Amino acid sequence: MSNRFDDRRSTELEDKAHAEAVQHFTEHLKQFPTSREAVDRLERDIAKIGLAANMAASKPTPKENIIQVDGDGQWHKSVDLMDNICLCHRPITGGAEYAVVEHFPARGTNEIWNRGWNAVEVLKAFAQEQRQALQIWTEDMTAQVKEFLAEKFPGQDLSRVADGFMHRLATHTTSHQQAQSHGENRSRGMRI
Amino acid sequence: MELIPKTEEQPAVTPTERLAYSVQESADMLGVNYFSVYRLIQRGKLKVCRALRGKLLVPRAELLKLLATE
Repeated sequence: MSNRFDDRRSTELEDKAHAEAVQHFTEHLKQFPTSREAVDRLERDIAKIGLAANMAASKPTPKENIIQVDGDGQWHKSVDLMDNICLCHRPITGGAEYAVVEHFPARGTNEIWNRGWNAVEVLKAFAQEQRQALQIWTEDMTAQVKEFLAEKFPGQDLSRVADGFMHRLATHTTSHQQAQSHGENRSRGMRI
Repeated sequence: MELIPKTEEQPAVTPTERLAYSVQESADMLGVNYFSVYRLIQRGKLKVCRALRGKLLVPRAELLKLLATE
């Protein structure tokens, strides 16, 4: 049984299995931190983005920012949130309605994810769904890594390798986040 | 190059004839990143099943349905 406090040195087989898993799931290791950081940023900046959307809703929208949503008329792009996803608004009686809209380039369509009359609440609902999607991704990865190891190294207990891989996936950061963290540390140091 | 002659006992199986795909295969086929597929799963836009160890599998019919309806 795996023990997270098991600090004995890894065996040659475990090292080999870990290296093969990392190689096999390279794309996940690349894409997961990027997606997680996008969700982190979104959660951190919700108030700021909400305010920007409110301000955008109070001004006339340039023509190039008007987008057509399938079966739901025209919306005005307020703020970009992630790749192909933006927060939009449109005027309604007594205020504005907000929606998170995703553009699907392959199909050339736009689809609404969340909508409401309060930009911050719409963003919160969207961020929560993104967090849940990351959780589904993590669970799927755990299963995939275990399956990969069981097929590659039948009959071996490589639970420590699976745990180590998932730890790496959860804690791996992109170079952007590393730079940001370094910058924050530096500025903290300057304040002291 | 030597080609193995096809016989009736060995029908050619192409990837499109598979019943289900992993998330990364689905992402590749849809031309989106992995997160987009997990988001579609989270929203129930793509219904998935689980293999023995819990790995997610996207039925081919679900991918076709998604493409046809959106």
